[in-house]
Amino acid sequence: MGVYWLSRGVAVLADRGAAVGRSTILEWPVPFSSEATMSRFIVRRFLSVIPTLFIIVTLSFFLIRLAPGGPFSGEKKLPPEIMANIMRKYHMDEPLVKQYFRYMGDVLQFDLGPSYRYKDQTVNDLIGNAFPVSVMLGTMALGTALLLGTIVGITSALKQNKWQDYAAMSVAVLGISVPAFVVGPILMLIFALKLKWLPTSGWLSSRAGALTLIMPIITLMMPYFAYIARMSRGSLIEVMRSDYVRTARAKGLKESVVIRKHVLKGAMLPIVTYLGPAFSGIITGSVVVEQIFVIPGIGRIFVQSALNRDYTVIMGDVIVYSIILIAANFVVDILYGLLDPRISYK
Amino acid sequence: MPSIDKNNDRATNEFNQYVKPVSLWADAWKRLRRNKMAVLGMWIVAIYMVVTFGAALLPFKSYTEQEMLHINLPPSFKPAGVVALGRLEERKVELEAAITRSGRADLKQDLTRIENEIIQLKGEVDTDPKHKRVYILGTDYLGRDMLARTIYGGQISIMIGLIGTLTAAMIGIVLGSLGGYLGGWVDNLIGRFVDLMYSLPYMLVVIIIMSMLPTGSNSIFVLYIAIAMISWLTISRVVRGQIISLKNSEFVEAARSMGAGSGRIIFRHLLPNSLGIIIIYSTLQFPSFIMNESFLSFLGLGVSAPRASWGTLVSEGVQGMQLYPWRLLVPAVSMTVFLFAMNFLGDGLRDALDPQSKNRN
Repeated sequence: MGVYWLSRGVAVLADRGAAVGRSTILEWPVPFSSEATMSRFIVRRFLSVIPTLFIIVTLSFFLIRLAPGGPFSGEKKLPPEIMANIMRKYHMDEPLVKQYFRYMGDVLQFDLGPSYRYKDQTVNDLIGNAFPVSVMLGTMALGTALLLGTIVGITSALKQNKWQDYAAMSVAVLGISVPAFVVGPILMLIFALKLKWLPTSGWLSSRAGALTLIMPIITLMMPYFAYIARMSRGSLIEVMRSDYVRTARAKGLKESVVIRKHVLKGAMLPIVTYLGPAFSGIITGSVVVEQIFVIPGIGRIFVQSALNRDYTVIMGDVIVYSIILIAANFVVDILYGLLDPRISYK
Repeated sequence: MPSIDKNNDRATNEFNQYVKPVSLWADAWKRLRRNKMAVLGMWIVAIYMVVTFGAALLPFKSYTEQEMLHINLPPSFKPAGVVALGRLEERKVELEAAITRSGRADLKQDLTRIENEIIQLKGEVDTDPKHKRVYILGTDYLGRDMLARTIYGGQISIMIGLIGTLTAAMIGIVLGSLGGYLGGWVDNLIGRFVDLMYSLPYMLVVIIIMSMLPTGSNSIFVLYIAIAMISWLTISRVVRGQIISLKNSEFVEAARSMGAGSGRIIFRHLLPNSLGIIIIYSTLQFPSFIMNESFLSFLGLGVSAPRASWGTLVSEGVQGMQLYPWRLLVPAVSMTVFLFAMNFLGDGLRDALDPQSKNRN
């Protein structure tokens, strides 16, 4: 699971995908022992999100505050009186616990506070501007990965053990093995600097327009494309050998109908469930890509604020990322049950 | 039917021929050897390990030694002095052409400087042993040997991968088998904790930790711990699942009926039977540790100078990639080949060790 990112980096994402796709035995059961119905499951699962978020916010708050250094401990030493004024302005002269409750109160009202670094912007502004960029990039990358991945996966499953299969699967292993920060610069070197076909960096607003999207999307989608290709190949091969497909063939259905109506429908389940972790991975995973191609998304903001110790921005970013992650896991859990009748919510 | 001949205690097959008993491991080894890509991967990984960890004993140049006359030399089999001289002469020709074309007098100064350098270098090239060095993979922006830097960078990257994998496996095995074997509230507690950790944007937390470290602290050690904390989650789930599916099996019941205690059952019966799947997941996670570390180093939050991991080298290479592409390509390709090999090896091990995949492709 590629920052997640960046992996939880790519491979870990892939691992989670594997765990998700492979078998339900790997899933820690949700400890609701009663025979809960679907809707009750959803409500309960939703409620369990609240303490998780609470713990994450608390943990990161104290982690960040206990670390030495702060947003104002720059190269230039400020006179103590000015320092004291700044501290008072941001309530940083108060005891940590009081600051914590103040912050939690603000967060509950969806106010992530002012940025310490960018004086005229609030964290809400910063994230509000950057978030759509990351979501757009992530959605396009995931869409491309899904489309190409399934096409390649289906092709190699149908041409199993022929050269097409070997070629496709080698590309897939390459996609999983090569990290984004290697793919990105090498693409940039070849297509932007040597061949001069594409602009090196920037985002939409610059003159090159949509061309700026191509390399970031390819870089970001690679591991997911590769993983989806491998997964769809594997599950297609498995489904093609199953009894119900044999039955469909025995009924005398045309091969194309068997593939379209019976095989694909069954084989796509693990891929749909993989989309949850993949989405959160790709959103958070864009940190490196945003860094390489200078894209104004939340990933870039995050790295900068971590380096600047811009407390409130880091916290805001962590909260946004956690919500994405939790939401993705949540959706996957529900999709499981909707798509596979063998899984019950116990 | 395969059966056991009671008289001499040897296994026979359906044609009543004796068959040698084959252990799981021997069987898996046979299957692994048949997988050409996995064998290739294994060899590559072995070579990397020998070269990187034996680097101090092998005749490589120092990775810290800087040589200002040898800055940014391209890969070549010729001695460094000759390469540097050739480059200076090329620049001299370019400058002369530029001067005649544009008539810019200010370039004359540069020309005299380069001519002086050429004269100086010509005088040294045959006498000074440092100009006899051969940089087959070129040098970096401080005139350090890229080959040596990449090898020592690999040492750090692979080390982090190994330590991360081992730590993750240890934590994962302990918590996974506790949860799986004991069940009940222990299992729920561990399960909730794992869920919580999964919802944590983990690398973000690592980035925060790394960026908050006071300068000069031992960042490699923190990095080891931070990275190891990521990946025990998957292993613990896998081990737990395996233990649960095994703990009610007949052989465990047999052991229990003979009076074996929980410890003995876990360590002598359950864990050895889960070892295969632990090895599979560890091998598959190994590259992800290396990627995580390199990712942090790429952002400038990982290993600090003078030590460098593959990620540091790649990020240094990116800076001058237009003029000096080998500075990016050498570490990037070395790292990719290793990760590629690890992934093939991991896939091969999975096919060889996972009985369920026996009949799969």
